[in-house]
Amino acid sequence: MILKRLQLLSSLCALGLAMAAPASVQAQDIVLGASVQLTGPVANTGRYYRDAYQIAIDKINAAGGVKIAGKEHKLALKLYDNQSDVNLSVRQYTQLVTQDKVHLLLGGFASNFQLADSVVSEKYKIPMVQGGGASNEIFSRNFKYIFGTLAPASNYFGSTVQMMKALKDGPKNVALLYADDSFDVSTAEGTRPLLKQAGFNLVMDERYSSNTSDFSTLLSQIKSKNVDAVLVAGHETEILNFVRNAKSLAVAPKMYSFTVGVPSEDFRKALGKDADYAFGMTAWLPVESLKDRWFGDAAKFAAEYKAKFGYDPDYHAASGAADVEALAMALEKAGSTDPQKVRDALAASDFESLYGPIKFGANGQIDLPQLVIQVQNGQVAEVYNAKGFDKQPQYPMPAWNAR
Amino acid sequence: MELLAQVLVNGLLLGGLYAVMALGLALVWGVLNIVNLAHGSFIMLGAYCSWHLFHYLHVDPFLGLPLTAAVMFALGYAVQRGILNLIVRAPMFNTLLLTFGLDVVLTYLAQLAFSADFRTINPGYAGHQWHWGAMVLPAVRVAAFGAALVLTLGMWLFLLHTRLGRAIRATAQNLVAARLYGVEPRHLYAMTFAIGVALAGTAGGLYGTVSQINPYIGASLTLKSFAIAIIGGLDNPLGVLVGGLFLGVIESLTILYIGPTFVDVASFGILALVLIVRPTGLLGKTA
Repeated sequence: MILKRLQLLSSLCALGLAMAAPASVQAQDIVLGASVQLTGPVANTGRYYRDAYQIAIDKINAAGGVKIAGKEHKLALKLYDNQSDVNLSVRQYTQLVTQDKVHLLLGGFASNFQLADSVVSEKYKIPMVQGGGASNEIFSRNFKYIFGTLAPASNYFGSTVQMMKALKDGPKNVALLYADDSFDVSTAEGTRPLLKQAGFNLVMDERYSSNTSDFSTLLSQIKSKNVDAVLVAGHETEILNFVRNAKSLAVAPKMYSFTVGVPSEDFRKALGKDADYAFGMTAWLPVESLKDRWFGDAAKFAAEYKAKFGYDPDYHAASGAADVEALAMALEKAGSTDPQKVRDALAASDFESLYGPIKFGANGQIDLPQLVIQVQNGQVAEVYNAKGFDKQPQYPMPAWNAR
Repeated sequence: MELLAQVLVNGLLLGGLYAVMALGLALVWGVLNIVNLAHGSFIMLGAYCSWHLFHYLHVDPFLGLPLTAAVMFALGYAVQRGILNLIVRAPMFNTLLLTFGLDVVLTYLAQLAFSADFRTINPGYAGHQWHWGAMVLPAVRVAAFGAALVLTLGMWLFLLHTRLGRAIRATAQNLVAARLYGVEPRHLYAMTFAIGVALAGTAGGLYGTVSQINPYIGASLTLKSFAIAIIGGLDNPLGVLVGGLFLGVIESLTILYIGPTFVDVASFGILALVLIVRPTGLLGKTA
């Protein structure tokens, strides 16, 4: 008897609590849904998206929100943590669309995730703008509802290869190492013809397992084959290990360039002085010449971001903020929240933002040139862009004991 | 030829580190019959412990290993006495479930406490190496290898010649007879697990100097330790050393001759082979 009473009481309480949940989302808010890696092995990069989405939405709302048909609507964010699990992210996007009934979708990080998640947006015909997946595979399926603000993976090393050609006493033997996930494989497939066209000698072309922690053997091979330049397409954890292994084995090629890590403050802090001389690329730097409707310019965005969250934004964060802006602009252009109209407005996007010019290609992916950057004395320096050399690159890299 | 020699050396040094990682798991498994799926998480916590000692108190990572081991010993004792003793005579499935849950809890507590930022233990000599002819021997790896030898030998001598070591072996062989000799099982189990966790913590401290630390490194390390423990055999600490060295060399040769993507295929292929041909492990006693 008492047990039954207790059960009844507890279920009533639960019901009461559920109904009393604070209504923080107003009825006419436009809800953007996203599944981002907040925990799990990729959480370190996933947090850029959570923070970028939040700061962009807050900024747009502070300026009055999105104006549709004369009425102002505020944006709201519905964020789930996919724990760095691709399958969970797909389920969460399905839930966002079918149960939470969000208006539009934002992506998370990593091409593997976007590849799977975009299937949901395509199935339910809800536009998704993502700033975390650069792999060409995402955009090669003729999908109409996926848009991406990261430049194609296949061209990540494009400007780096051009710079290598333009260097005096430049490298001749090149080694290409890449991890076995969607983004890195795409990058390698795009880099091989670029190297061939530029006349470099590709002496090593090795695909390694993601999460490799030991690069000793590969580095010993690099040393024995007299490799001048090493191009690594991988994840931050692997590249951290690569650099540390290289130092402990005293392997110092004339230069090395990584697809990730160099733009991130976290990476440079973890390596300390060992990060010097590393080349990388970024499609974005926090410069004042990138004007923005809500933030003013990229430099102001970076300052506000740092003040609010305590760390410097990199291109992932800028890309995430641009995604929110792209949706806001598309909503205003379409004059409604109808997914089909917003989708068409997105496809016709053409505006300046803190991230750069937002204009999607026919397949939904943006195309921005990558700037070649290098860590020089602990700071990131822009060394090569479409116009040629900017700051002088520090080349060749000295031996480890001569630093 | 030079390349092959260098790769073999790389493999042996890597194997030494692997052996230290697997030692704790093999001890706990061989004696207590507890497959500790949280082993990797303890390695991770040991790494964080060493990192904090290095970063805030400027304790040299190698000299600070005994401190890390002591902290992890205390943690292991508490975990065994408080949690694992409840299921030590339960079916195997319960221990797997409980240690798996422990693994998840420890990982996410670490994420909350330390965030997912990468950390490295970077003492001044971290990049130092010795040159022997044309071969390069990274200093930290050699030190880790040395630690592996010392710990394995120490473990072996401990189990053979000390009173506690004999008590541990006796309890593993026949609990009733051991109790008749005055062994208090709850305390003994806790001591054994504590030693296992202390070894895991030491491995973590070493791992932090050669690689990087984040809350999620545990899972793959548990898997690796698991494979090495089986390959080497659970009866003898020397088996773990042999298993670790063997795996390290096989992995390095696979990268050199077949390709880096096949490393996992090679490791787990060897594991499957050992289970088929010699199930008690390379150095295990044939049944």
